[in-house]
Amino acid sequence: MLEIKNLHACVEGEDEQILKGVNLTINKGEIHAIMGPNGSGKSTLAKVVSGHPEYEITEGEIIFEGEDITELDADERAHLGLFLAFQYPIEVPGITNRTLLRESYNTIARENGREELDPLEFDDYLKERLEVIDMKDEFLERSINTGFSGGEKKKNEVFQMAVLNPKLAFMDETDSGLDIDALKVVSDGINKIAGPENAIVLITHYQRLLNYITPDHVHVMMNGRIVKSAGKELALELEDQGYEQLEKEFSVNGEAQ
Amino acid sequence: MSTAVQEKETILNFLDGDFGPGSNIPAIAGLNEKGTGNISEFPFPTKKDEDWRFTDLRSISRNHFVPVSEAGANPVGDISEYYLPEATNSRLVFVNGEFNPELSSTSDIPENVVVGNMTAYSDHKILETHLGKYTNYDEDQDVFAALNDANFKDGGFIYVPKETKVETPIHILNIFTDAEKAFYATPRVLFVGEAYSKATIVEEHVALTQNEYLNVTVNEFKLFEGAHVHHARIQRDSKKANHISRPIAHLDKYAEYHSYTICLGAKLFRNDPRVVQNDEEVDFTIDGLVLIDGDQIADTHSAIDHRHWHAKSHQLHKVVVNDEAHSIFNGKIFVREDSQKIDSFQENRNLLLSVDGTVHTKPQLEIFSDDVLCSHGATIGHLNEDEVFYLHSRGLTKKKARELLVYAFTLESIETMEVESVHKLLLDEVVKYTSRDEEFVAVGK
Repeated sequence: MLEIKNLHACVEGEDEQILKGVNLTINKGEIHAIMGPNGSGKSTLAKVVSGHPEYEITEGEIIFEGEDITELDADERAHLGLFLAFQYPIEVPGITNRTLLRESYNTIARENGREELDPLEFDDYLKERLEVIDMKDEFLERSINTGFSGGEKKKNEVFQMAVLNPKLAFMDETDSGLDIDALKVVSDGINKIAGPENAIVLITHYQRLLNYITPDHVHVMMNGRIVKSAGKELALELEDQGYEQLEKEFSVNGEAQ
Repeated sequence: MSTAVQEKETILNFLDGDFGPGSNIPAIAGLNEKGTGNISEFPFPTKKDEDWRFTDLRSISRNHFVPVSEAGANPVGDISEYYLPEATNSRLVFVNGEFNPELSSTSDIPENVVVGNMTAYSDHKILETHLGKYTNYDEDQDVFAALNDANFKDGGFIYVPKETKVETPIHILNIFTDAEKAFYATPRVLFVGEAYSKATIVEEHVALTQNEYLNVTVNEFKLFEGAHVHHARIQRDSKKANHISRPIAHLDKYAEYHSYTICLGAKLFRNDPRVVQNDEEVDFTIDGLVLIDGDQIADTHSAIDHRHWHAKSHQLHKVVVNDEAHSIFNGKIFVREDSQKIDSFQENRNLLLSVDGTVHTKPQLEIFSDDVLCSHGATIGHLNEDEVFYLHSRGLTKKKARELLVYAFTLESIETMEVESVHKLLLDEVVKYTSRDEEFVAVGK
């Protein structure tokens, strides 16, 4: 489904590479976890894949369902079925969740030659999808993330994903800052959405989320590269040992190789 | 120039006309006479005048305007698309400043209420008593209010007697037609609301073509004790027009006056709204919403005068600027000595969609009382890049993302519109304003 080959990227207009040759293959039906210490490039990878204009790809390519999407704008990637759950969801005062989601859902439907939903049909659909994150109808009338608690913002990202039904979602630290109840709701939601036809990439700093969602693959990212990939047991190993052991293993003179 | 001392310029340098008392209504004739004197006396403003520092008046001073009668103006055709469904029979139409009885309709106006052209009320005591009594623009040697005084013959006259409510909105529709020559027009409105009366006014300025003209408007609103007025002002002049606007409201005890000025058109729009508090416990609003692009200039110089105890005032002035457009805001708020318990809110928020747009903003508070709550603020910013990306990543095109964000920015102002069709009209205008294809600027926080 997704193939990232030797991906190098930097902040637009700056020299320093943040991604230094990422290789990653994701297949339909899989859940991946990308772990790693702060500043390792995890979030950058998610943003680059979703088409954030702040980053420039200097080398390598991103192939999604056989198509090179490296040059596509963020909206075009969304039309193809990519989704980014933001680490820090943006507040947009004045635009309700309902307005955004209807515009978003219908745009994606239109771009894919599917039928758009009229406001009434869409309302029914939204209400059904609200169950995924256990939220009430009022949630739809609120301005996007405006005045939301940290947990509500993260739930809103999962809700948007539930509505838009992407083929591939990158979830950037969707677990961070959640209390135990919210973490359960969020991970339940993700588990409900995950299926044989889609794929999910969880970007996380901690193993905590993986108690609730079982990944098929775990990758460790350090200094702009994926340095280790294995099954779910890798997460437990990291929980025990921390990243220090790996950092030593993959660094010489303080520079990762 | 051979003379050493250059003669000062007056507005008469830029227009033709035979001025003088030209009405059989004494109140109008009196103002014509006063105005005629003033326009030959008052100097035309320059950038050296503090109130005109940032305002480029060359679209007036490099032009020459003639009276409508000499302009070869096109007759007006079918303008029903501009009628408000809520005000089908409570509408006054002025074409290039002149009253048009055929296009006007006032059959839904209650019998004891006056909604009509001033010239039809030659013996009306209220008109005689109030016309011209509230404008104070002469104190500033304002050439434009003086031109209106000198030139106007027709004008909207609205009188709502005691404890009377006018159920339908009153639509004052100013239409401007194409003409061979640039002309000047001087729309005028007098509104008098007696004690505990209530009315909604929609004042609109619409151009049928994109021609050059000079539209100089004076509005006088007198609200007696407990009178309530909702006043929507929609300016859709030609993008080559100059519109100079002088609306003033005088409020007696318990009066409520809420005005919302929406600026969409005109090459140059200069609006000097003023509110004068005559007694305690008044409540008023002079909000503004400006959507400009190209080389438009929109300038608001407001003055709010708190003279007595217990006033609540509100001024939210929102501006969206694209291309090389220029917005100016100067918001004077006076709180006089011994006018305590004043609650005054002023905010000017500016959204720049381009790098070449210009915004000047100046809150100007002069407070001579101590028990006063005056909040004021001014912000200037671009669209937030993070917000744009967030919407973009959800599949919305950049154009749609911009439309939604500008819509969200303006919503607070648009939602204050009481008349449903005006509300709808403004939402359409926002879509029109944002539906261009060009790139726009967004920056990070």
